[in-house]
Parts: sequence; C-alpha cells; structure tokens
Amino acid sequence: MRRREFLSATTLALLAGCDRTLSFAEHANEKVERGLFRHTSMDVARGRFVTPLPAYPSYFIADTVPMWDAAKRGPWTLEISGMVAKPLTLNLSQLAALPSVTQRVNHYCVEGWTAVASWTGVRLSALAALVQPRPEAQYVDFQSFDDGYHESWDLPSAMHPQTLVAYGMDGHWLGAPHGGPARVFSPVKLGYKNTKYLTKIVFLPERNGGYWSDQGYEWYGGV
Amino acid sequence: MTTVLRHHWVVRVTHWVAVVAITIMVGSGLRIFNAYPAFARRGQSFCCYPFAGKPIPNWLTFGGWLGGARHWHFAMMWLLALDGLVYLGFLYLHGEWRDLAPRKGDLRDAVAMVRFYLFVTKHHPRQGKHNALQKLAYFTMPWLGVVLVLTGLAIWKPVELGWLTSVFGGYVWARYWHFVAMSLLVALVVGHVFMVFTVDPYSIPSMITGRYDERCSPEARDARPLYHLAPCAREDGPADA
Repeated sequence: MRRREFLSATTLALLAGCDRTLSFAEHANEKVERGLFRHTSMDVARGRFVTPLPAYPSYFIADTVPMWDAAKRGPWTLEISGMVAKPLTLNLSQLAALPSVTQRVNHYCVEGWTAVASWTGVRLSALAALVQPRPEAQYVDFQSFDDGYHESWDLPSAMHPQTLVAYGMDGHWLGAPHGGPARVFSPVKLGYKNTKYLTKIVFLPERNGGYWSDQGYEWYGGV
Repeated sequence: MTTVLRHHWVVRVTHWVAVVAITIMVGSGLRIFNAYPAFARRGQSFCCYPFAGKPIPNWLTFGGWLGGARHWHFAMMWLLALDGLVYLGFLYLHGEWRDLAPRKGDLRDAVAMVRFYLFVTKHHPRQGKHNALQKLAYFTMPWLGVVLVLTGLAIWKPVELGWLTSVFGGYVWARYWHFVAMSLLVALVVGHVFMVFTVDPYSIPSMITGRYDERCSPEARDARPLYHLAPCAREDGPADA
C-alpha cells in the first residue's frame, strides 16, 4: 500500500512538474511569437489556386450547422462594445456598406492542413477606428451564436491589416457552413482562433480564453 | 591503463539528452501529423507521399492528443536545439569536429567498409575513432538537425517567417521536408542503435562512463553485424581490473 501510494504520489508530482514545464514553455513561446509579430508580415497564397468550396472544411461546435434564426431573434446584428468610446451595432447591410477589402489567403489549421479562399470583409482595424477602443483595451473577444463559441485575441493580431470581419467568400455571401452571416478571418491566427457565426466583438483589458484554448490548445495560436 | 577516455562528459550528457528529446520530438511530431496525415492543400493533390490518409500507429506517438502533443513539441524543441548547440559548440571548441568532418578518401574507406560488411574482404579496414560509415552518419545527423529546425520554424510561423517558408517551397513543401528530414534522422538513429548492439556493444559503457577498451574495438575483432560479437581476448586480464 505504501509503495503504491508512493508511486502514485511520484507519478502525480511528475505529471504536475510536466504540466508546469509545458505551460511555462507555452508562455515563453507566446513571448517569442509576439516578438516576431509584424503588421507588415502578410500572408501570400501561392499560385492562383482557390480551394473548391465543398473541399473547404466547415467546422462548428453545435450538432448541426448553426443558422441565424431571424424569425426568433430578429435580424442579425454585429455588436462592437466593451472598453470603447463609441459602442456600435451594425446590421449586415451597414457592415457591407463600409469600405471593404478582398484578399486571397491561406487558412492554417492547427491540424496541419491549409486551404485557400478569397475573403471579402471589413478590416477589424477599420471597425476599431469607428468605436475607438480605450488604451487599456489590449484584448479582443470574438463571440458567436454557435453554442457560445468564442475566442479572445491579443490586440496587435486583431489590428493586423489581414484580419477581417468577413461576409463574403470566393465572391459570394458567406454561407452557413463557413460561418455566415459574418465571421473573423485572418491568416495570422490558426483556424480555431477565427470565430465563425460572429455576433459580438468585445474590447477587453484582459484575455478571456476561448472555446478551444480552454480545452488546452495554445491561447495565442499565432501563425 | 588498458582503457582510453573515448567520450568527453559534454558529449555523453548531450548524447543522452538528445535521446530523450528526439524521442519526444518524434513521438509528438507524429501525433501532430496524425491530425492530418497527408500533405496536400485542401482541394489539391500531392505528388510525393503514397500513404496519405493513413495515420501513424498510436504506439509510435506521444502526447495523447493534438493539443498535448503540440505543447510537448513546442517545449522540447528548445531543449533539443540547445542540446545540439552545446554539442556542436563543444565539437568546435574541442577540435573533435575533425573526427567527423569528411576528408579525401572517406568515400573509398566507406566502400571498403561496405565490402567488409558484405564478406567481400576478410579484415576490418583500419580506422580512427570512427569508421567511414559512422563518420558519414554522425556528420549527416547535425545537418538534418539544421534542416529540421529551419523547416520547423517555417511551418510554425508561415506568415511571420513567410520568407523562410518560401525558401522551402511554401507551407505544404516545408511540412513535407520537415517530415522527410525526420524520417531520415530516424533511419540513421535506427541504423546507429542496430550497429551498436550487433557490432560494438562494448561501446555502450563508453557513452556512460566515457571509458573504452580499444582492444575490444570492431577493428580488433574483425566484427561485422552479429559476427565476432564474443568478447575480445584480454591477455592482461579484465580491462576494468
């Protein structure tokens, strides 16, 4: 009995030690990644290839494709709030009326695959210019109507010129399988950080975890 | 003195740290690979990997799940890189790189070793610390390490270090070269371990204590894999007496 207790205590201590070492390494790596991060580093999708829509994976948390039920919830809107001077709520046509960009970029999945699409949307930095975040707001939480899915980001990544609130994919309105009516899309973060079915952008003074990061994937998830 | 100091303590320590670190890096890397055991961009095909879609057997992987394996991989990479730098720095400062650097005649000596292993010639060719095949293997390993570090950075940060990713032909190819370099390194390690146990098991203590009995060397025993494994004749008694 004593031996078994000793062994299990040792195993637990070792595991706890590993855990601490790994989370120390994750924090150290986040510092390295933040140090490497540049707003001038742009993703370039090689060639002219675009992944055909059926071959483009479509992940979501809910059991079925999340659909905005306008009959129940009224028209879809995007709320931009938190530590900002001028909170803002936009409907889809107001969002689409803002100056937009279209970019053909890679999607880097944590699993190791990449896909290419052409995304149309509004730069998050342009939306930030409208709501005017306060200087303490160093994090941004992207929330959705997909079973409470959300992911929070560091402000610099959110302000990267390739970080969009996208409502168009390959020249069409963004469909339900890929996060419609609007979603976050940026090549500077791994796919799981890019919130689909977006409803709220909240500027925060602290990080607020995220659906996948709370399950043990890296919170930073930078590319 | 019947034994010589064959491996400096720095070499011995970095060797065993590398054993642990490489094992964890390969195991966790294969677990990460299993999340998408293919190379093609979505919607495209890839020319050069015949086993696409077939995961690596679980018992060869480490880290349990994708997120766990990534944590191990991104932690252990620093230890292994540091370990490699200490080893290479020591080789440079201590002059031992000369035992591994290729020289004129190495090719001829390597052919002679192969001929001996294939029973074409009867006697083990003369050698220095390592035979020509060992030299080739031990010289190649650090270079594979360099390729692994660079391709690893290229697939870790394909946007922030996009120029590096481009050097390897883009993300898909960089990931492929990372996998190929790993496979070659594993092949060399497997070959190394096989040869240690079947040709010169007497060298195992030398990687722990550093001491090696030259009279037991494969050259002295005319040892091929699994041939002349029996202990060498020790005219003046046991070496460790």
